[in-house]
Parts: sequence; C-alpha cells; structure tokens
Amino acid sequence: MGMITDGLPGFLEPLPGGSAVLTKVDQLVNWSRSNSLWPLTFGTSCCAIEMMMASGAARHDISRFGAEVVRASPRQADLIIIAGTIVKRMAPRLRTLYEQMAEPRYVIATGSCTIAGGPFIYHSYTTIRGADEIIPVDVYVPGCPPRPEALFYGLLTLQKMIREGESLRHPGERRRPVLSALPEGMTIEDIQAEMRDLLVADANVKMSEELAEGAHWAQELKDF
Amino acid sequence: MQDSPPPGEDQAGEVGFAQALLAAAQAIEPATVLRDKSDRITLQVPAAAIAKICQWLRDDPALRFDLLYDHTAIDWPAENRFELVYLLAAVLDPQPRTRDLQVMVTTSVPRDNPVIDTVCGIWPIAEWQEREVYDMFGILYTNHPDLRRLFLEDDWEGFPLRKDYEDDFMLERPT
Ligand code: SF4
Repeated sequence: MGMITDGLPGFLEPLPGGSAVLTKVDQLVNWSRSNSLWPLTFGTSCCAIEMMMASGAARHDISRFGAEVVRASPRQADLIIIAGTIVKRMAPRLRTLYEQMAEPRYVIATGSCTIAGGPFIYHSYTTIRGADEIIPVDVYVPGCPPRPEALFYGLLTLQKMIREGESLRHPGERRRPVLSALPEGMTIEDIQAEMRDLLVADANVKMSEELAEGAHWAQELKDF
Repeated sequence: MQDSPPPGEDQAGEVGFAQALLAAAQAIEPATVLRDKSDRITLQVPAAAIAKICQWLRDDPALRFDLLYDHTAIDWPAENRFELVYLLAAVLDPQPRTRDLQVMVTTSVPRDNPVIDTVCGIWPIAEWQEREVYDMFGILYTNHPDLRRLFLEDDWEGFPLRKDYEDDFMLERPT
C-alpha cells in the first residue's frame, strides 16, 4: 500500500484529468482509513477503564466505527488512545510505542491528565504535564475521565478530520490538533443521534427494508 | 470486610479480642499499646520489637496472620518521625472464625535515622513492599536481601513522598 500511495500522486498528476482522479482516490483512501482505525492496547490509569467501557463492554460498541480491532503490537495499530496519566518513566516507552506504529498514525489524548497533567499538575515529582510534550496529539478529549460518549465523539472528530483533511499529495502532513470538547448545549442524545445517522449512512443493512419486513430489532433501533 | 456482623453484636467480641491480643503482645514486648483512634485493632510497638511481634503474629496457632497485605509509611515532620504501618490478614486459617481478622501494627522510627529490621523473612512479599517504602520514604531495612529502588530510576535523588521533598520538575501551586 505504502509504495502505491506514495507513487500515485506523481504518476497521476501529470495525466489529463489525473487531478480529479486523485481526489477520488483520496476520498476512497480516507474513507477506508477513517473506518479502520485500529487502536493500540494502551492504558495507564483510570481513563483506561473508561476506554475499556467504550471498546470492550456491552453498552457501547466501538466496532460500529471500525475501531474495535485492538492490537497488542504497535506495528499493527494506527491509533493510540492515550488513556491515563503519563509519568516520567512511562514517557520514553510511550515515545517508542508511537514511533513503532506504522504511518499514517493518529493520537487521541483522553482525560485531563494527558491534556495538561490533570489533578497531578502541582506538587508532582513525576507526572508529565500533557502527553503532547512527548508525542503529537490529534484530538484532545477533555474529562476526568471522559464518558464513553465523549470518547466516541472524539473518535468521530478524528474520523471527520481524516476524511476532510488528508490527501495523498501531502503524506504525513499533520493538521492542527483539535479539542473535541462537547459543544455548548450538546447532549448525550445528540451524540447518539449522530452515531445513529452515521451507522445508517454507512450501513450494509438497509434499515428501510428491514423495517418494511417488520424486523423488530430495526424498529427498536429506530425508536432508540 | 464482607459479612461483618451487626455492630452491637460484634462490639463486645472485638473489644475482648483486642484486650486478649494486647495482653499476649505485652508478654512479648511490654511497651506495646493499643491505639485508640483506629478503624481496626491496632498494636503500637517500639521499632526494636517489630520482628519479634510480627513473628509471633504469624506463628501463634490462634492467630496465624499469614498475609501482609500492605506496608507503608507516613511522614510526620513536626514530630520528627516516620510511622510504619503493617496491615495483616489471616486468609489461610483452617479454623472457622466468627469474623475475618485484620490487624494493624504500627511503629515509629526517627526521621534522621530511619532504620528498622526487615520482616521479609516472615512474609516474603515484604521484600517488595519494603523496597517501595525505601523508594518513596528512604526507610532503611536491615538484613533486606535486595534494597534497591523499585519504581523510580536508580539514579533518582531524594525520596519523593517525604513532606519536605522538592525538585526542579515540581510546580508550585500559584496562590
Ligand atoms: S484524567 Fe482523571 S480519570 Fe483520567 S487518568 Fe487522569 S485522573 Fe484518571
């Protein structure tokens, strides 16, 4: 993949109409990348519990957004969710893990600890005040800990960033990091509605057909 | 603690047990006292007697405290001492008991000379717990087989959980 995507812009761009084709290829590549973010198994303290709630527990299902293939090896992962306090001894390990991940790689920092040191910012002999002192962060998800919904919202934000902002013309270029704080007035229902719309848009199951056939699960999902 | 009996019923039994324990401990170390403000039975012993008392608590057939489930220290700079805390439980006891036993043993060492006997001959897990306390408070355990830092880097200077610890990395809270 890497060789093709690296060579493609140089090959397509000079051709007549190549630019338009490349834009289409971009869309395809970004769509597949944003829907197959494989996170690394990485969690250092309380926020990790919340991440497990999002990725492994019953109520919230991160696999609906293509991010459930939690990998134990950084070589197979392209997303690192920094969940939990980073201390001085962890910092070099975090850096190593990040560098071992294959490009393109993305970073979500969840919780105030990874954003700024959180409750341990003062009088701590060891807490790193912000994971972005160690590795570049794409999306910050504030909270102590953030609710699973907020983590989902951060993931949706990252997917949006990938779909809209990336191009094979500039591989590896980093966009400005974003703070994925829930906007004023945003409620859990809004996030759930956004997730539902996304699922319906991406679905390989046609809800309308299922509903017409009277599938009760489809009715329940619709009423949810 | 699960299944603890209703308070009224247990009170008498607990007090009786504490008095019996104190009497037995005083036979071994006369300076032992019961601590009054505590959420569980607590024996305060002089630092020199810690190994003797712990050995007895583990080996006495009526007690058999076979698990040292926590060991830590508290820094009291105003009183110039470190308080060492040993939390004991009896988990492998074959005799049925009316309540599960947990006992705390505390002792104090001077801040300027924090030396005490190790208990890792009694409970091997103490080897790790004492390493941690050494790492954070700088308590020196005599006869410990491997007293090295546990969590911090080997070249760390100072003991960060002491109240007077400071280094360049720390931020003061702006007032
Ligand atoms: S932000 Fe809060 S919940 Fe998250 S790791 Fe820090 S202290 Fe724990």
